[in-house]
Amino acid sequence: MKIAIYTFIGLLLLLVESSLLSFVPAEIFKPDLGVPLIIYTSLFLGPQAGVITTLFIGLMQEGLSAAPHGSILFVKVAIFLITIFLKRKLYIDSKYSFAFVCSGFVVLESFLLITLSLLARGEARNALNILFYTIPNAVFTGFIGIFIFSFIEYLNARYLDRE
Amino acid sequence: MKNSIAIIIAILILIISFLAFTNTPLIVKGYSAFKGGFSETIGPMLRLIAKPTDLVRYIFNSYINLVGAKRENAELKKRLDAFVLENQKIPDLERENKRLRTLLNFMEKNPRSMIAARVVGEDLKNWYKCIIIDKGSTSNIKEKMPVITPRGIVGQAVEVDRWHSKVMVINDTNSSVDVSAEGKNTRGLLEGTGQTVLKLKYVLKNDDIEIGDKLLTSGKDGIYPKGLPAGIVITVNRNKPGIFADIDIMPFSNFKHLEEVLVIKKQ
Repeated sequence: MKIAIYTFIGLLLLLVESSLLSFVPAEIFKPDLGVPLIIYTSLFLGPQAGVITTLFIGLMQEGLSAAPHGSILFVKVAIFLITIFLKRKLYIDSKYSFAFVCSGFVVLESFLLITLSLLARGEARNALNILFYTIPNAVFTGFIGIFIFSFIEYLNARYLDRE
Repeated sequence: MKNSIAIIIAILILIISFLAFTNTPLIVKGYSAFKGGFSETIGPMLRLIAKPTDLVRYIFNSYINLVGAKRENAELKKRLDAFVLENQKIPDLERENKRLRTLLNFMEKNPRSMIAARVVGEDLKNWYKCIIIDKGSTSNIKEKMPVITPRGIVGQAVEVDRWHSKVMVINDTNSSVDVSAEGKNTRGLLEGTGQTVLKLKYVLKNDDIEIGDKLLTSGKDGIYPKGLPAGIVITVNRNKPGIFADIDIMPFSNFKHLEEVLVIKKQ
């Protein structure tokens, strides 16, 4: 139940983001709304929930982007696997530490994509562009991560954990 | 055990997506079909989401600009707000009317058949520059069809689903357009930088090009028809090493404020 709700929230957020971005002049601040949900489900609901959310969010983000086939899904699954393997090292006790982890993973995501492009295709054309947006994206994703964490915790406390 | 299965599935997805990224023929076909099937659902959902976000767009465009206006009292404030909101619809409608009239005139002037489309979304990643339009294969849109506005070229359709299409904008780092300077023989490749300003590549230092020159599509890249406005030269630097000049171009279309675009049908 929780997996379905969180995945649905994630997909809805991505659609709203894409729709809003077409007129909001927020070129430099494009948060990755998928990362907080992938991290949350992977850490708090386990690997099964994490892999489902990752697959849907990865595909949705690719569907709403001109990114090459497989690139975003690859990066998202890599984030999921890293989260799972670092589960015991990542200490999340508040929305702020969650936001910090989200920001870190956005930076990692950028470097993963650059590495993937360089190693698999030998392309470096987009590397500078990706680096340019890395820090603003990480900061903004962390900021939005605070609200996503609070919202999910509120949903849990108010509705989902009551069952 | 279940956790291990989830991790194995994740590793399999990782391998498949990697092979799709590297264009492995067998994988990329299946992956495209799977992704295409998933993307089919995105178009209708985007249209659905676009309805409430239109309201946000309206508020963003009109009401936000009113912050700071003085109001005499609470009663008048409410009434004034209502009147202002009501009145703002008129210029909005006039602007839309003007925009659509320009599109219509442009379509009438140009004998090529065109499809008008509305921009419903934008790329989620700022690493790539793409817009999503509300017309897809059901409206006979195909990949590599050029997308323009009356002001100039916007980009080309790169992925077409049944209900919507993704358009790679000319400032994407993967975009190249063959252009020539208006009234001159100078030709070059207009390449995206991922930023607002574009680069004109492969123009020799002794070629005839100056600041203010208008660039038009040459029609030699097989995508864009000849004579469409692409941008204007804003800087020309001939002092850098090498045989080519460093030229910055400002595109005519503002890609952040696109609401309607035209897709040129290829015969």
